[in-house]
Amino acid sequence: MPSTESDSLDRLPPGVTAVIAALDFEEADRVRLMELGFIPGSSVSCQRVVPLGDLAIFQVEGTQVALRKDTAARITLQPSSAARNPDADSG
Amino acid sequence: MPTAVEPRTETQHSLPAKNRAVAICGPPNVGKSSFFNRLTGLRQKVANYPGITVEKRIGSLRLEDGGQVDLIDLPGIVGMHPRSEDERICVEILRGRSATLPRPAAAILLLDSTNLQAHLRMVPGILGLGLPTLVVLNMADELEARGGSVDTEAVSAQIGVPVVLASAVTGTGMREVVRFLQGSLAPAHKVELPVINNIPGERKWAHSVAAQSSYHAPEPSLWGRRLDRIFLHPVGGPMIFLAVVIAVFQSIFTLAVPIMDAVESAIGVSAGWIGALLPDSMLKGLLLDGVWGGVGSVLVFLPQILILFLFIGVLEDSGYLARAAVIADRSMRAIGLEGRSFIPLLSSYACAIPAVMAARTIENQRDRLATLLVAPLTTCSARLPVYALLIAAFIPERPLLGPFLGTRAAVLLALYAAGFIAACGTAWLLKSMVLRSKPAPFVLQLPAYRWPTIRSLAFRLIDRSKIFLRRAGTVILVTTIVLWFLASVPYQDGEPPPIGESLAGSIGRTIEPLVEPLGLNWKIGIGLITSLAAREVIVGTLGTIYGMEADEGSPALQQALQAELSFGGAIALLMYFAFAMQCMSTVAIVRRETGGWKWPAIQFGYMLALAYSTGFAAYRVFG
Ligand SMILES: Nc1nc2c(ncn2[C@@H]2O[C@H](COP(=O)(O)OP(=O)(O)OP(=O)(O)O)[C@@H](O)[C@H]2O)c(=O)[nH]1
Ligand SMILES: [Mg+2]
Repeated sequence: MPSTESDSLDRLPPGVTAVIAALDFEEADRVRLMELGFIPGSSVSCQRVVPLGDLAIFQVEGTQVALRKDTAARITLQPSSAARNPDADSG
Repeated sequence: MPTAVEPRTETQHSLPAKNRAVAICGPPNVGKSSFFNRLTGLRQKVANYPGITVEKRIGSLRLEDGGQVDLIDLPGIVGMHPRSEDERICVEILRGRSATLPRPAAAILLLDSTNLQAHLRMVPGILGLGLPTLVVLNMADELEARGGSVDTEAVSAQIGVPVVLASAVTGTGMREVVRFLQGSLAPAHKVELPVINNIPGERKWAHSVAAQSSYHAPEPSLWGRRLDRIFLHPVGGPMIFLAVVIAVFQSIFTLAVPIMDAVESAIGVSAGWIGALLPDSMLKGLLLDGVWGGVGSVLVFLPQILILFLFIGVLEDSGYLARAAVIADRSMRAIGLEGRSFIPLLSSYACAIPAVMAARTIENQRDRLATLLVAPLTTCSARLPVYALLIAAFIPERPLLGPFLGTRAAVLLALYAAGFIAACGTAWLLKSMVLRSKPAPFVLQLPAYRWPTIRSLAFRLIDRSKIFLRRAGTVILVTTIVLWFLASVPYQDGEPPPIGESLAGSIGRTIEPLVEPLGLNWKIGIGLITSLAAREVIVGTLGTIYGMEADEGSPALQQALQAELSFGGAIALLMYFAFAMQCMSTVAIVRRETGGWKWPAIQFGYMLALAYSTGFAAYRVFG
């Protein structure tokens, strides 16, 4: 289900796309995450949550990137930007 | 910060006559090294995950006009703000701040044409360096195969430098690249790039350039998704990983055997010829016992090493390895390292030296240190001949899981596991005591899946054989010859002495008390010393010693070992080789990477203590 109330990346369910709003990190880490594609304004979707782990794989700026949940939790999403991605993998 | 950009198109026409160094830069895994290899004919390491190249590499290219261009292959960067050692090297060279290289005369910025919107973001930063630049959109073959397209003229018109669509794999576009290097590529119209000094702004700009270049992004690959669903499955993923590993070890014993037998008999037959051809003399002894017995007994293991590298090649080229790192992240985290450390640790299955260097990609200096300190504990391919020899001599082959897993493969697997567990345990100790650090955000880019090509696998095997043969022809040859001389003096009544009374024998007996607690005799003790040069040297050393000892021809090395070692001694020897840092080249590289003798000394001492104590315990337990 599209969960529009999810406001940070770690709560984005698989198969849903949203737009990044801000990154809450110290400057150097913030720049690095932006260089890897997590840029305010970019659409991001969660592709899958990795087994057993606290990792999830995101599709952002054309690449697949694995992030830990605690890192994802500090990336906020634009409110009500979440939309079900028709061709996403929900399984 | 990228600011006003002024591409100096006028200098594009001729690179300075003296300095014709051209830097190849771009994001990780876009094919920079493949591109470099294609132009220079060299074989810089290529694999399908980011962070392969961690050091500059220079290769030259002869141009038609008789001139020469030096191409520099560089580590990948994601922006102009380096964080890890490899990125720093790249940015320093591009900025002309490197201590070892002058500022390059021009740059080639390689981008992935299948992900153009994102990669164009690199353009302002690189053009801001003020070097004549060519932008190459690589992976043209993939772009086309997946139905994408781009108008390179339009890109060029917007960024003000020439743009070429190319493929390092098929060779498309290489002619234009060579024309750029010759200075005969038409310069683009000069453009004032907008002043952007923030990443969101760069992103917007990049997206608009792509949109105005009628860029059609390729279809996302469906089977990539499907493969991820399998490889990252909660149960299936780890099971597949295990199955792959078991298959590798089983085939090391089953597939390699016929080839090894052939190599062994070729060595035996040629030794017979030499024996018949040459008159009895010192030279004959040196050739037969020293060279054939020593180097030959190591050469036999080449097929097994090649099988290992074939599998490593498939894993690396397909993109599976990065998924394995994702699966391993949790266990890595439990020991205090990040999943990124898994890749250097995995690559040390080939050899610890590239693994120690690959640790450069780890941003956190303490994590980097911990990773390079434990890397030599994972089982490198130089241990394989030693393991294979002892296992074949002491472990009877019995099926455990039908044809899929036999006792020998299981023991080999256990040895690899022991190395890995030791590496993890040590990392945990280091991270929880001396190298504590605050965790940085963990980010790992996953490469697209690609088919490993026969060509690239073949090159890997050829290159590996060359390395192996070079080692056999240098380190192993020299140590066995020296050993042969030490074992042939002093002459008694004009005859070489029995080996026990030779110089080598008396050295051996001096150290025997040290190795006796492990159930080893002086001959093996000598092997432990010579193999400090490189682990597989012990096989050559024993080949020489037993060859000289035997009156009639050389007995098979295995039988000789069975007569000399108890089962417990054999296990102790295996433990010793699993854990000891028997490799001077690794010591040297750790010294270089850590900038002093402190860490390699601690590492050597720690590993020796671990090796000795586990060997001692094993001998006690197995008798
Ligand atoms: N299909 C296709 N694959 C390519 C092309 N160029 C490179 N590759 C593949 O892309 C992967 C990465 O290639 P590398 O040459 O190692 O890339 P790199 O940019 O040097 O990577 P790093 O050194 O890690 O930054 C390998 O699997 C190559 O076989 C290309 O033009 N087409
Ligand atoms: Mg490279």
